Amino acid sequence: MLERFHVPEEDEIRVSSDKLRKTSEQIFVKCGMSLSNSKIATDVLLSADIRGVDTHGVSNMLRNYVLYLSEGSAKANPNWKIVRETESCATIDCDEGLGLVVAPQAMDIAIEKAKKTGVGLVSMGNGRHLGMAGYHAMMALEHDMIGTCMTSSTTNVVPTYAAKAGLGTNPIAVAAPALNKAPFVFDAATSAIATNKVRVAQRLGVPLAAGWITDEKGNPIMEETPLDIKEDPDKVNNLLQTPVGATRELGSHKGYSLGMVVDILGSILNGSLAGPLRTMKQHQNHFVAAYSIEAFTSVQKFKEMMDEYLQALEDLPPVEGQERVLYAGLMEYETETERKNIGIPLHPEVINWFKNICSELELDFDMTENGGNN
Amino acid sequence: MLERFHVPDQEIILIPEENLRNVTEQIFQSQGMPEKDCKLATDALISSDLRGVETHGVSNMVRAYLGAFKSKNINPKPNWKIVKETPSCITVDSDAGLGIVVAPQAMEIAVEKAKKTGVGLVTLGNGRHIGMLAYHAMIALKHDMIGTCMAACSPRMVPTFSSKKAIGTNPIAYAAPADKLPPFVFDAAMTSVAGNKIVLASRLGVPLEPGWIADDNGNPIMEKVNMKDLDQYEDESKNLEERYASGYISSSVDLLPFGGTREMGSHKSYSMAMVVDVLAGILNGSKTAPTGEHTGQGHFLAAYSIDAFIDTKEFKELMDRYLQSLLDLPSNSEGKEVVYAGYIEAKEQEKRGKEGIPLHPEVVEWYKKTSSELKIDQLI
Repeated sequence: MLERFHVPEEDEIRVSSDKLRKTSEQIFVKCGMSLSNSKIATDVLLSADIRGVDTHGVSNMLRNYVLYLSEGSAKANPNWKIVRETESCATIDCDEGLGLVVAPQAMDIAIEKAKKTGVGLVSMGNGRHLGMAGYHAMMALEHDMIGTCMTSSTTNVVPTYAAKAGLGTNPIAVAAPALNKAPFVFDAATSAIATNKVRVAQRLGVPLAAGWITDEKGNPIMEETPLDIKEDPDKVNNLLQTPVGATRELGSHKGYSLGMVVDILGSILNGSLAGPLRTMKQHQNHFVAAYSIEAFTSVQKFKEMMDEYLQALEDLPPVEGQERVLYAGLMEYETETERKNIGIPLHPEVINWFKNICSELELDFDMTENGGNN
Repeated sequence: MLERFHVPDQEIILIPEENLRNVTEQIFQSQGMPEKDCKLATDALISSDLRGVETHGVSNMVRAYLGAFKSKNINPKPNWKIVKETPSCITVDSDAGLGIVVAPQAMEIAVEKAKKTGVGLVTLGNGRHIGMLAYHAMIALKHDMIGTCMAACSPRMVPTFSSKKAIGTNPIAYAAPADKLPPFVFDAAMTSVAGNKIVLASRLGVPLEPGWIADDNGNPIMEKVNMKDLDQYEDESKNLEERYASGYISSSVDLLPFGGTREMGSHKSYSMAMVVDVLAGILNGSKTAPTGEHTGQGHFLAAYSIDAFIDTKEFKELMDRYLQSLLDLPSNSEGKEVVYAGYIEAKEQEKRGKEGIPLHPEVVEWYKKTSSELKIDQLI
């Protein structure tokens, strides 16, 4: 994430991941989830916080999930099922369950298929919010597989040359293991920025950069745009976003098309309406895949070559003004190590939310102490 | 493609598809390629020209391939083979054969596997130029499948924050069928522009946009540039013929990942290019561009059977509705029609199939010269 999206150090309150995990699990259970579902959902959520992907962790998402579960727009204990299946593929009806509960189980199915045929693909319809897509892709890593996850989501991205939204932010995640180095974990919206980043920017009072959003007529705004911190959250959530690339000249048609790939694999392939045809805001559909490395090459050789490849990129001399060249997943891996030790930095506004929701749900509030898990 | 990359109307020479096909096949034959391979290679090239993807058609590529045959970079009679196999996957050694010859055959294997298990994946090492990726992805369409194609290429892209190039343009293609509307066919380099576009821009003398290329130190150039105005890129327009002769159209211009800068999302296209290196390179044991030992191209192909997931008819009808709803979106203030990838190309294909393929006089001249040299048929 860009520096502007992190909680400023003087504001942050460090909470151990154990405490955050315990409280989050309890909140999910109070919202009607079975204990096992609450554990799966919390693990997805916390993994985002631990890896520094604050946009998709407890700060932004938990309150949304509480809302969805309490208003009934997502089911706490969905009766999801496989509706079509071949040796390497499955189509799942998520029964309105949160992706953070159903997708990890779908990924398990993909992995089992990949053990037999070399690859497993699962397209999931009738779903709800997925959390950090990278989590599901990363499940493949411990099985020496390459993982993919995509989500076809709420329509707020303006296709190239259009005057209104026609696509979701439709993120794509791909994870591939290395030997000694941090695994390659790419996870990004096919829009210029994820919708959650707009929320984070609003909380932190930082401006949106050139090329991130469009005006009301769909024209990309090519200068910094300040966000009013008191702005109505709905208005902020409904800002029109650009595909990655921003303008046709800079490649927005590529971001737009990658977003379409996600709609096709994540929605149309399981019979869901996508893009401008979508009717329900909370509706999200997913696609996960696991590729067995062993099916193509020796796992040991692959991982050694990954190390060599990733090291070569890290070793590139940086451009003036930058400290180093990164690859996707490296910084998140470093953050993970740090946050496991010294806790997760939360914004005071988030701590306050936890305090209120705990009181509302009659749970003990236990987040005041700083520091890591000991 | 942007309008600027097309041959200007007043310079166009229209060549019937059949003439271009015939002469191009003969050129490949002159290099010792088996007749069946000549047909495959020519079909891939002509398909680009028909679809208006001139960057990857005969104009740029035939002479590049000739140069590479001459320097023994391409094996005209590759003995390509499957080196590893599971029910859904294969790894292929392309034996330095052209991707436009080996990939269509590998894609047929992926399709056969997909008929049985639902999906077929192929990673191909030791390959050479694959032409327009969409051609290979589109092979899946006639089998009611979704097709993918990726190519791991030689270094051209400057990774985000790097001061030098390290990764290829690493294009990605996806093709998915619709019912009545033209299929969705996406095919794009993960750089702002494909390497071949720089060659086209040289030939046509048109400027490059902000965010397309990097300066000597890796900094994104965020203003319009004419290559001839920049000393460092001088050879780009001058020594085109020389560079063709040396094999592939190598270049001194370093390209930016699409988006141009970190703030505009260049880290996303840089990462997508890495995905291509992993699937089309490392997965078949090929050395990658950043390690400095990269040769040729690595490829990755996939075919997903739609029937494995959903009734094909339902899928295609949903695709029609989806694509139509995008076409129906109102235009922003630029006033340009909202389209989807593959839409314009399909219209162009229809038009060029009837009217002929527009070539630049310089290209026609090259064909004339080459035909005389090789003692084969003339284009016109």
